[in-house]
Amino acid sequence: MTAPGQERELEALLALSRRSRAKLDRLREVLTSPGHYGKGATPATVVYRENKLRLLRLQDETGEPFAGPPVLFIPAPVSRFFIIDLLPGRSFAAHIAKAGFDVFIADFGEPGEEDRFSDLEYYVEGLVRRSVRKVLALSGQPKVNLIGYCLGGTLSLLYAALHPDSVARLVLLTTIVDGDVKGGVAWVAHRMGLEGESYDHPRLVPAAEVKSWFEMLAPGSNSQAGRVRDLWDRLGDSPERLRDVRTMASWVDDVVPAPGRLLAEMYQKFGPGRNRLMSGTATVGDRVVDCAAVTMPVLAVSAEKDLIAPPEGVDAIGKLVPHTEVMRLPGGHVGIVAGRSAAALWQRTADFLASTRG
Amino acid sequence: MAEPNPENGPTIVERWLEDQQQWQRTVLAYLDAMTKNDDFLVHLGNAMRGSLLAGKPYPTAPSPAGETSAPAAAPDDRIDKVLFALHQLEGQLADVQLTLEEIRGGRARSAAAPAIALKRARARVKKAAAKTPAARASKARTPSKARKRKGRA
Repeated sequence: MTAPGQERELEALLALSRRSRAKLDRLREVLTSPGHYGKGATPATVVYRENKLRLLRLQDETGEPFAGPPVLFIPAPVSRFFIIDLLPGRSFAAHIAKAGFDVFIADFGEPGEEDRFSDLEYYVEGLVRRSVRKVLALSGQPKVNLIGYCLGGTLSLLYAALHPDSVARLVLLTTIVDGDVKGGVAWVAHRMGLEGESYDHPRLVPAAEVKSWFEMLAPGSNSQAGRVRDLWDRLGDSPERLRDVRTMASWVDDVVPAPGRLLAEMYQKFGPGRNRLMSGTATVGDRVVDCAAVTMPVLAVSAEKDLIAPPEGVDAIGKLVPHTEVMRLPGGHVGIVAGRSAAALWQRTADFLASTRG
Repeated sequence: MAEPNPENGPTIVERWLEDQQQWQRTVLAYLDAMTKNDDFLVHLGNAMRGSLLAGKPYPTAPSPAGETSAPAAAPDDRIDKVLFALHQLEGQLADVQLTLEEIRGGRARSAAAPAIALKRARARVKKAAAKTPAARASKARTPSKARKRKGRA
């Protein structure tokens, strides 16, 4: 016969054993169910290909492109595009399409070894410019609405300054323009050796290294023990919630390698201590970027808790392009675009784009 | 040993034994998943790193600078430079193609524009002519004349 004290201990151990087993069973269930492999949630056709770039055009239920003025999403080339088309019912791109726009997404793909020679000019005057041309040709419109996210916002801003006649409206999401504002991924990359990245002899910066810069910014996520503990705690959530977590993990953890020349050039031009966007001396190839040419309406959105792109560095666009509507939302770098409260950003963006019509 | 209590169900020991059996089932289910699903081990490895990343292994941490045992030989860039130059050419060709499409589209539009304008102008003239009194009278006469001609024939 067990003493009452012993029995209580055994009961507690038994309860712990059951909880742990339930979590392991749930983990197996999640790991054996199909994951979200980054193909995007909304049906789309590839309308243009160049190198690793795929230009996607979203389709409605009948398989036709959505009707309305064209919108081109430019995500960051160092991450997967599908953060803006994450899940059915949780897709920024689909929300914009359903608001009455013909939506295109530039998927930069995963650079190969030879793409380490890609520079800013190759992206802005090459991939982005030709994507815009293709969008204009397909839509039959003279101008496109651009939505750039993070580093994709930098590319969009540079493009809009160099080719203002082809841009109807510009939306910049968590896009740093003031490189001297401390914090954020540029500063971490600076501390971790980006300064030593060679423009003349570039390497393809491994995905794990790019990821380590982001991990340095998120307390708790930079240690394996911390990540395992977080996951273990989350295994008590519902399977639906875990599937969402898995989809997000498939984006967060699946960073792509980065062209060393692009990073070196961006660091040398826009990084801490250089800050050539703010000083008005930025160039793309031989062309000087004149932000005074950005005369189209601009919406810039920063996130209050953004550890990757500090909000002050994002809001500084107001000094460069004074007519910019600057908006700061509660949430983090990813949360405002694809989190549970992202609908506020989606609707504000749709309203901003819709006000161009008529 | 705890005595069975018919009112409260199985004893703590019985429940322990049952829990052990459940653990065996859990372990067997994991083994089963490993044999049936090729990706399972990759996914499990990711989970052991604290990630639910699907479809590929979690990116491994880069080795800290200076830890490499031997200095790496300078890579031969030539092939990659040629490949990248080909990608740049691919872009330039795409530009040419887009320009040709624009020219073709512009010609089609400019060719279509006068034709459409002519068609519309003809339609407007026809409509206006139909509204004149002479035209209305002629229209009114036409059926009777036709009937007469038909009768003579």
